[in-house]
Amino acid sequence: MAQTTSRTPPDTKVHFLWRFFSSVKLTIALLIILAITSIAGTLIPQQQEALKFARELSPWVFRLFAALDLFDMYHAFWFRIFLGALTVNLLVCSIDRFPTAWGRFRAQPSPEREQPFENLPEEQAFLVEGNPGDLPGRIEALLRSRYKRVHAAKDETRSSWHAEKGRYAHFGVYLVHLSVFLILVGGLIGSFLGFQGFVNIVEGETIDEIAVRNRMETMPLGFEVRCDRFVVEFYESGAPKEYRSDLTFLVDGEVAAERAIRVNHPTEFEGVTFYQSSYGSTPGRRVHLHLMRAGDPPATTPVDAEIQGPAVELPGKEGVFRVLDANPNMMGVMGPAVLIGVKPHDGDEMQFWVFQNVGAVQERFPGIFGHNPRLNPAAFEPYTFVLTQLESRYYTGLQVNRDPGVPLVWAGCFMMVAGFIVTFFMSHRHIWVRLDRIENGANRVRIAGRSSKNPVGLERELERLTGDLNRLLNDRND
Amino acid sequence: MLNATILSYITFFYFAAFLFYLLMLIMHRKAPGLIATGISAAGLIGHTFAIALRWFESYRMGIGHAPFSNLYESLIFFSWMIMFLYLLVEWRTRNRTLGAFATPLAFLAMAYASFSPGINSQIQPLIPALKSNWLISHVITCFVGYAAFGLSFGLSLMYLMKKRSEAGSPRRITRLLPSTGMLDELNYQMVVIGFLMLTLGIITGSVWAHSAWGSYWSWDPKETWSLITWLVYAAVLHSRLVRGWRGKKIAVLCLVGFACVLFTYFGVNYLAGLHSYAKS
Repeated sequence: MAQTTSRTPPDTKVHFLWRFFSSVKLTIALLIILAITSIAGTLIPQQQEALKFARELSPWVFRLFAALDLFDMYHAFWFRIFLGALTVNLLVCSIDRFPTAWGRFRAQPSPEREQPFENLPEEQAFLVEGNPGDLPGRIEALLRSRYKRVHAAKDETRSSWHAEKGRYAHFGVYLVHLSVFLILVGGLIGSFLGFQGFVNIVEGETIDEIAVRNRMETMPLGFEVRCDRFVVEFYESGAPKEYRSDLTFLVDGEVAAERAIRVNHPTEFEGVTFYQSSYGSTPGRRVHLHLMRAGDPPATTPVDAEIQGPAVELPGKEGVFRVLDANPNMMGVMGPAVLIGVKPHDGDEMQFWVFQNVGAVQERFPGIFGHNPRLNPAAFEPYTFVLTQLESRYYTGLQVNRDPGVPLVWAGCFMMVAGFIVTFFMSHRHIWVRLDRIENGANRVRIAGRSSKNPVGLERELERLTGDLNRLLNDRND
Repeated sequence: MLNATILSYITFFYFAAFLFYLLMLIMHRKAPGLIATGISAAGLIGHTFAIALRWFESYRMGIGHAPFSNLYESLIFFSWMIMFLYLLVEWRTRNRTLGAFATPLAFLAMAYASFSPGINSQIQPLIPALKSNWLISHVITCFVGYAAFGLSFGLSLMYLMKKRSEAGSPRRITRLLPSTGMLDELNYQMVVIGFLMLTLGIITGSVWAHSAWGSYWSWDPKETWSLITWLVYAAVLHSRLVRGWRGKKIAVLCLVGFACVLFTYFGVNYLAGLHSYAKS
């Protein structure tokens, strides 16, 4: 990964574009632009949070921000253009510089090179007395036991070897660049071919379509999902402990699968993944009422009814009533209430709201029940209606996604880590060993080396190799 | 709780270690350095014990989980990781001078965790989103990364001090510092470790987010800032490996990188986002 010169392609129209996209300066500029715009994106509230913020802006600032998509900038066209440019830049840079790395990978340095032995430290050379004999063979055997590729060259007075390992280290950086490319492509595939949706399912109900995020539209799923049960558990402190939805998947009305999902434990059905995301409650269908009948003696009758269900006969058979509507929290402060419609045998239907927390409402709005017949629970004499319980049902909020890009993204992540390990912790090492016959009947062994990085590691390796060769050739066992 | 009490005492150990490392730099004596190493090691042992105890206590409370779930626990672990990594470097390089720059980071993190009124040291039960096997690997990889960047910050400061003192006015205090070449090399190694770990932290976080929120990348402020930090250190590595930058430029970039780390860690708490449980 040392400095490389850019390979200039033939002088065509592609020329300047290629030069533009193969420049490291472009990389730096794009990275700075992406960093600054990303920072802006963390400071300007995005998407849902943007609404409140936008109201505080003056109109022309708002129009400017909206025109530049600053309220959803990570999905804005211009942001994707920068990401796309970075992808192209990465690819072109890698292709442009690849031949250099390929050359280094393929290169077969001569065993007889002089240059590595210039300024050789003294401790990387030693003498062996006597005839050369089988010295060359023993040196070569040791080198072959440690290095995959060993080349030798011999003449009358000199034997030379070149050994190397870690040639593949040159490709580590391409593995990393390819991994970034895979992740970006995976992200693009996900954003074009996948979807992110959302759906609330009330306990006991079935849905067959979902709302697509950031688009005002619904999408059919092609199958049905029923929420059989939603359970929320709390710790003693009141903090939530667990959310769970029991889901049933139906295809053409037939049960195809039953799965329970929790936060961190989604489930997949026909390529669509369902995540436990939120929950809430909605009025149930059953309403519990007490009907108090004035008279002698007064009587109180508990009555159950269903919202928009069948009419219920009054205890004194004066007529029938129905629950027409329900509100879990009337006007946001008045608590649960139901709209009752009473139809006497002779006369018109009358409608009025009946509250659950009568005392609290009266305290807050004194006289409210007397002044307004629509809010008077005793409007139909001789009865007074009392709401005792409005059953509520949970609904589960599910995030519903399909992202065909995910496998590519994970493959990219895996490749990136592998690439880092190769790039940072492996190096291409060349070792040269030379055996010379010198005048006074001795043999001189010299060891030199070169490494693509980690000079300290190379030094240590040379030191060990020299020591091992010295011990082997001088038959010393110390 | 016992673990929090022990941890608040560890703060003073690291402060004492800092003073002795400083004394060593000023006096040029070996003795204060030895004492500093001893105090640091003793502090780290107590620190390790207290974290293990906290883990154990959470199980005794019936809400057992690894102690990595809120700001208090993350600060404690950040400090532990800095001291662990520093002592490893000290042992490998046989040079104690980095101690004067590493211990203040550990001390400040501990002091912030133990004595800031806004930080709750109680063991809290895990909310559903945090109940995941990815919690441990995500937090550990991120904080090894943060700690390595913390040491890189210290080494960059040392580099700049040494360089200034070599350039003109030789100052007594920088005499014990390693050579600029060695500082530069060591700094590079820290950035490599930090970068690899930050990458793993982002990846484990993505895998986790994918199972918890249904999306491996949501442009949440903490995610975005971790990406910015990643880009800055990617720039450090490219400028060194491709453009051949060394020394001062790298050191300055590393200071910028650590500022991004701090913002990723603390700054984003002031912005709305998905990582809100890391705030208190």
